[in-house]
Amino acid sequence: MNDLIKELYQEIILDHGQSPRNFGECDPHNRSADGHNPLCGDNLKLTFFINNEDVIEDIKFTGEGCAISLASASLMTEKLKGKKIHDAEEIFSDFTNLVSGTNEDLKVLNEEDSLYALKGVGGFPMRVKCATMAWHAFKSALKS
Amino acid sequence: MLDIKKIRDDFPILDKKILDNKDLIYLDTAASAQKPKVVIDEINSFYSNNYANVSRGVHTLSVESTFKYEDARKKVQKFINADSEREIIFTKSATESINLLANSFALKYINEGDEIILTVMEHHSNIIPWFLIRDRYKCNILFANIDSTGNIDQKHFESLISEKTKLVSITHLSNVFGTIVNQDIVNLCNKAGIPILLDGCQSAAHIPIDVKALGCDYYVFSGHKLYAPTGVGVFYGRENLIEELPPYQGGGGMIADVSTDGATFTDLPAKFEAGTPPLVEAYGLGVAIDYVTEIGMSEISEHELKLTNYALHKMKELDFVDIHGANGNKHSIISFNIKNIHSHEVSSFLDVEGVAIRAGHHCCQPLMKHLSLNSTARVSFGVYNTENEIDTFISALKKCRDFFTK
Repeated sequence: MNDLIKELYQEIILDHGQSPRNFGECDPHNRSADGHNPLCGDNLKLTFFINNEDVIEDIKFTGEGCAISLASASLMTEKLKGKKIHDAEEIFSDFTNLVSGTNEDLKVLNEEDSLYALKGVGGFPMRVKCATMAWHAFKSALKS
Repeated sequence: MLDIKKIRDDFPILDKKILDNKDLIYLDTAASAQKPKVVIDEINSFYSNNYANVSRGVHTLSVESTFKYEDARKKVQKFINADSEREIIFTKSATESINLLANSFALKYINEGDEIILTVMEHHSNIIPWFLIRDRYKCNILFANIDSTGNIDQKHFESLISEKTKLVSITHLSNVFGTIVNQDIVNLCNKAGIPILLDGCQSAAHIPIDVKALGCDYYVFSGHKLYAPTGVGVFYGRENLIEELPPYQGGGGMIADVSTDGATFTDLPAKFEAGTPPLVEAYGLGVAIDYVTEIGMSEISEHELKLTNYALHKMKELDFVDIHGANGNKHSIISFNIKNIHSHEVSSFLDVEGVAIRAGHHCCQPLMKHLSLNSTARVSFGVYNTENEIDTFISALKKCRDFFTK
C-alpha cells in the first residue's frame, strides 16, 4: 500500500468520514454559512451559536461530500465547540497552513491534535479544497 | 488491428512514472487527450522556422504562416466532410464555438417567448451560453429527459418541439454516459425544419465524423481532445446558414472596410475570426488530424469500442461497482461509482496506483441532480490504451474497495 494513501486516509479520517460527529443543525443558532466546492459539487451547511462571552457554544453541519471533506468538517466542529472566537480563528489559520503543505510554523495546533490527521492532504494538492471547505464556511459565517 | 506498441511510442508522456515509480495508466482522455510527439515537434518547428501573424503582412514568414493556418482549415474540412472550408471557423475552444452560435443566432433570430431545446445531460458549456441568451432575450430553455440507458427520451424530446422551437443544441456523444445520439433525433429536427447543433467534443476523436451524413446544421469540437494542443476549437456551420449570421466578436481580420461611421465585414470564414487567431494551435490541430487519419478513424473507433466493451464486461463482474446507464451503447466513456465510496476517494486511491481517472460532476450538474448523485468517477479511453491497462484499473478498483471497507 502506498504511504501517501495511508497518510491521507488515516483511521480517524475514515471513521469521521463514515460517521461524522455533530451532524445536523444547531437550534438555536446565530451564525450560518454554506460551503461549496464548485469543482466537484460537494457542499455543506454550517450552523453555530455564539454566546454573550464570544464562545462557540454549539456547532453543527449537514451536507454531502467525500471522506476528506466530511471528516474535516466533523473534526472541525469537535475542535471549535467551546472555543472563543479569537482562538477559533487561530486554529483556522493553523489548519489551512497544515493542509496546504506550507511549512509555516503552527501556533496552536500540534501533533497531538486530531486535526493533525489531515496533514496528509498536503500530498494531494487537488484535495486541499475538500479539507478546507468547512473551514471557509466557518470563516465566512463569522463575517456575516 | 492497430500497432498499439508503435502508437504508444508516439506519446512521450506514456513513459512517465507516477509516485512510487508506477507506470502511468491514462484513462482520462475525455477530459483531454495526450499529445503525440509529431504534434509537439511540429509546434516547435512552426515557432522556430515559420512564425508570423497570419492574413496581414506580405513578407515571407507571414505568407508561410498564413499558408499553414489555411491548410489546417482544409484538413478540418476534410476530416468532418464539410462542403467548403468557408464553413470551418477556428475558435479558442468548443466552448467559444457554442458561445459564438448562441450570440450570433440569438441576435438574428431569438425573440421573447421563443424556445431552445437542450437535454439534461449537456455539459455546462452547452447550457450556460443558452442561459445567458435566455436572460437577455427572455426566451425559454427546455430540457429533454434521458432514459435509464443514458439516451435521450425520444418521446419527451418530440413533445417539446413546437412552432416556438428555434434551435436544438445537444451532445453528440455524452461525456458522462458515452452514449451516441440517436440519428432519429437529428432526423426529427431536419423534418421539422429546426436547426440543430451537435456538440462533438467527445465524438470527434472517437468516431468518424461526416457532418453531411449526420444532417446537423452546426457542429463544434475542441482540438485538445483530439490529440492537438489546447487553445483551439472548431465551429462548423452550413454555409447558407452562417452567411446570414452576424459576427460574434469584432476586431482585426474580420472587416472589409472601417471608417469613423461604421464598418463592413469580410466574407466567411474570417467574419467570425476577429483578432489574431490561435494559428499555431490550429496548425497543431491539422497535424493531429493527419496523425489520426493515418492510423484510421474507423480503426481507432473500433479499438476504443473494444476497450470500452472489455472494461464494461470486467466492471460488471464487480458487485461493488454501479455503472451509470450500464445498458446503453457506450463508446470510450464509462461513468461509475463504488458503493459507499465517494468518487474523490476512488480517484486519489487510483492515482497512487498510477491510474488517472476523472472524479466529480463532469461539468454536468443538472445531470447529477437528475441522477440524484453528488459525483461520479469516470474512465475514458484513447487510441493509446490497452486491455492490460484496464486489467490494472480493475485490480486497483478491488484494492480501493478493500481499503475503504476494511
